[in-house]
Amino acid sequence: MKESKASPPLWAIRFLTWFCPPQLHEAIEGDLCEQFESDASALGASRARRNFVFNTLRFFRPSILMRNNFSLNLIGTIMISNYAKVAIRNITRRKLYSFINASGLSIGISFCILIYLFIQDEKSFDQFHADKEQIFRIDETSYTPWWGGDPSNAYRQSAYLPLPALQAMKDELPEVAFGTHYRSHWSGALRYEEKVFTENFALVGPDFFKMFSFPILRGNAETLFRDKNEIVLTPAIAKKYFGDDDPIGKTVSLFIGEEKLLTVTGIIDAPPANSSLSFAMLVPIENDPSFERNRNRWGNFGFPTFIQLHQNADVRALGPKLDQLLDKYMGEKLDEWRKEYNVPVGTKMLTLQYTNLSDIHLKTAVSWHKVSDPQYSIILGGIGLLILIIACINYVSLSLTTSTSRRIEVGIRKVSGAYRGQLVSQFGVESVVLALLSMIIAITLVVLFLPFFNSFAERSISLTFENVIGIASFGFGLSVMIGLLAGSYPSLILSGFKPATVLKGRFTSRLQAGFTKPLVVIQFALSAFLIISSVIMFKQMRFITTKELGYNKEQLLSIPTQAGWSEASDNVVKQFRQALSVEPSVVAVAGTTSSFNKGYSKNGYKIKDEQKSSYVYAADPFYISTLELKLISGRNFDPAIAADSSAVIVNEALVKDMGWSDPLNEHLNWTEDSASLGYKVIGVLKDYHFLSLEETIDPMFLTMDKQKAGYLTTMLVRIKPDDIPGTVARMQQVWRGLYPDKPFDYTFVEDDVSQQYEAYQRWMGIMNLSTGFAIFIACLGLFGLSGINAVNRTKEVGIRKVMGADLSQIFLLLNKQYVWLAMIAFALAAPASWYVMVQWLADFKYRIVIGWELFAVSMFAGLFVAMATVSFHGIKAALINPAETLKYE
Amino acid sequence: MSKEYLGEFEELVLTMVGILQEDAYGNAIVTEIRDRMDRDVNLSAVHVTLYRLEDKGLVKSRMGGSTNERGGRRKRIFTITNAGLAMLRSLKEVRLELWKLIPQLKIVHS
Repeated sequence: MKESKASPPLWAIRFLTWFCPPQLHEAIEGDLCEQFESDASALGASRARRNFVFNTLRFFRPSILMRNNFSLNLIGTIMISNYAKVAIRNITRRKLYSFINASGLSIGISFCILIYLFIQDEKSFDQFHADKEQIFRIDETSYTPWWGGDPSNAYRQSAYLPLPALQAMKDELPEVAFGTHYRSHWSGALRYEEKVFTENFALVGPDFFKMFSFPILRGNAETLFRDKNEIVLTPAIAKKYFGDDDPIGKTVSLFIGEEKLLTVTGIIDAPPANSSLSFAMLVPIENDPSFERNRNRWGNFGFPTFIQLHQNADVRALGPKLDQLLDKYMGEKLDEWRKEYNVPVGTKMLTLQYTNLSDIHLKTAVSWHKVSDPQYSIILGGIGLLILIIACINYVSLSLTTSTSRRIEVGIRKVSGAYRGQLVSQFGVESVVLALLSMIIAITLVVLFLPFFNSFAERSISLTFENVIGIASFGFGLSVMIGLLAGSYPSLILSGFKPATVLKGRFTSRLQAGFTKPLVVIQFALSAFLIISSVIMFKQMRFITTKELGYNKEQLLSIPTQAGWSEASDNVVKQFRQALSVEPSVVAVAGTTSSFNKGYSKNGYKIKDEQKSSYVYAADPFYISTLELKLISGRNFDPAIAADSSAVIVNEALVKDMGWSDPLNEHLNWTEDSASLGYKVIGVLKDYHFLSLEETIDPMFLTMDKQKAGYLTTMLVRIKPDDIPGTVARMQQVWRGLYPDKPFDYTFVEDDVSQQYEAYQRWMGIMNLSTGFAIFIACLGLFGLSGINAVNRTKEVGIRKVMGADLSQIFLLLNKQYVWLAMIAFALAAPASWYVMVQWLADFKYRIVIGWELFAVSMFAGLFVAMATVSFHGIKAALINPAETLKYE
Repeated sequence: MSKEYLGEFEELVLTMVGILQEDAYGNAIVTEIRDRMDRDVNLSAVHVTLYRLEDKGLVKSRMGGSTNERGGRRKRIFTITNAGLAMLRSLKEVRLELWKLIPQLKIVHS
């Protein structure tokens, strides 16, 4: 018959079987099939199939679904205490499995909790200001090609406005209630009596205290900063300088371009970590050295500006008014610029926008302190979800491997009258109990890893009371959900055992868990990717930290002179060197413009119509010997020779760049002085890494010409390796004697240099941690898969043993497929990690070569881990006495 | 008697069960309704109604013998119970009585 060919879609039948009450199922399915057969002959197979699906779906309705026997629930609740008891017994009996299961799940849960905390933190930014709805930062968008920007991406947003813009807004926009400038991240030496340290501060206007809700502990918000000679401290600073004394009314001196005497008039709470504004002290904006100069200048964009609108003002009306304001004050100037830079008419040169205080944190277009990309939340959320799903699937496969030992229990329960639904809910309860246990571990993990997470995400999330409540409820909800989701599949399988077969001891059905195989490959590929990447990163970082830099960075201190950009700095160097000359543990003191990783200056100049550029360091004659640099030819600066003040010592790269064959007879005219030949070259230095290893060694030279190249604002001091803290303390004493009003700030050049690679180090930390987790999770997956396999082949193993196979043969038989899985995973991961690592290494001008041996090492490590994981089940299966497995046949 | 309410579709299906006798199962009822009343009904609706009637005790069901048709799946045969018959009868009587109360204009006229 024709009908035999056409058959209704299998999945629809399965679906029906799933939801349809068993007592009704056969007749309904029969009717549906009958209808299908008549449809098939009347309308054709495809129409019939479509009708069949449609009709089946029509049965998925409450009046059918509710006929499922839900009365079980009542019995179910009676049995719950029994389920819980059995669950606990099972968990304690199989400690290894429970541990593995719980740890997999708890890693997943803890990741999700961390990401939950991260997202909560992102959302909490700047939410503590009472008037946050009314406070706006005014941003500008400018057409950049007129100052050399990239024409294809012509508009650039920034939060920096001209100084007079604020006053104009306050005067001319009736909506504006308050407004303040905010220049942050200034630092300068703060002195009170003999205490002097470098402190961080922000420059603000008097309205700052009325707008933002940082609690004012002392002082009056209405009157603060009426006078420009005031200063407001945070409690930590007040404590540091005044101890338990009352700081109010005391006069301190702060170095902002020059010494300023300021009176403490208030104490304000330090901003919390989730604030976009940050400061340790507040100083009136009028103290900005550039304030007077910029008072009426609309052309200098340097002052971030906040305004607060009146309670009922409409912010949408603000946009056009801001543009009118710009037009009024800057129209002429913009037209001038337009001509000067040939900007086409009709192109907007400059517009103003407003950004609500709450939106500052996630507005990546405008660079701002702590601004963060909302994409991070999405990426992190995705990772968390992925880990959770993998953990759930691993849980499923692990539960299946243990199912054999539960089958007798299932049989007994069924014989004693348990419905299938009861068994389903029993296993459901078990997985929920395990998930809840995992949650407890997960919360512990969160507490342990939070500091690490903070340093990675550059957050300072802490666990507060509300936080913990949030985490606990989030974790609880998540765990119950996971328990139910992950528990559903094993419980359906387990509860499906037929009591007669199970109790007779014949258990030949195979566990169907095909989905775990590709999953294991993915997990292993991910681990292999991470292993390879970490190995390469590790090698590169070791290469960088141990590479010969061309100078000796050890026991070398960098100390700012704290005397500003002036002749005074040069004198500090001389005086300090003089004072330390009696100190035997100080080897040498040199002065320069900038130390390693503390900035540089690069000069461009034309020589014979060719554009050249090189790095310029002002130095004194002690520079070369202090750094232990090597002079290839020529000589050092000699203070006795007057002409040396307009001489240069160049590096090899510069010689090569200029194409000189006899550099000592050449002049470098870097000041483009048409009247002379330029600076005489008196020496050539062997190349050394004055910048980070991300850069190649570019042309550079040293000069003693202070006027052109800069003052000696930094001292480099080489000390002897023994008793470093003592030497530093004695140097500090000497400094105190010479300059009691300046702080003695020092850093070790070695630390400065390694700081250049801090971001990479942090990434490496993350990579190591995630590699660890990924390997662990992948092993869980593999463990589960090999377990299922061992269970399925128990009988085969028995027969093979009877036939004389020995342990190693059986071990091989069971495990060789995993070698293949690991190989496939590796084949997937190797090109991917090679590609990504080449990109990563491209950041470095000095880098290792990715050789095959790195891949080989990673592969063997991965294989080894895989084999170690699967061998547990392999050996267990191989050791079973065949009599055990075959006696029922 | 009036303690149970019977919907229009329920009454229709119940009547069909009465008509089809030993042959009353889901598909047959659908076909019967289509043939006799030119009305398309969905199988699931018929099934749901049958189960509801069974709950009310107006029909009872048993599984028929298995045949080669429909892949060997048995039919659930519904038969009308005495209560069902009484229900149909009383419905009919009530309706007749009501009918009589309508002024029989046509009859008077002729």
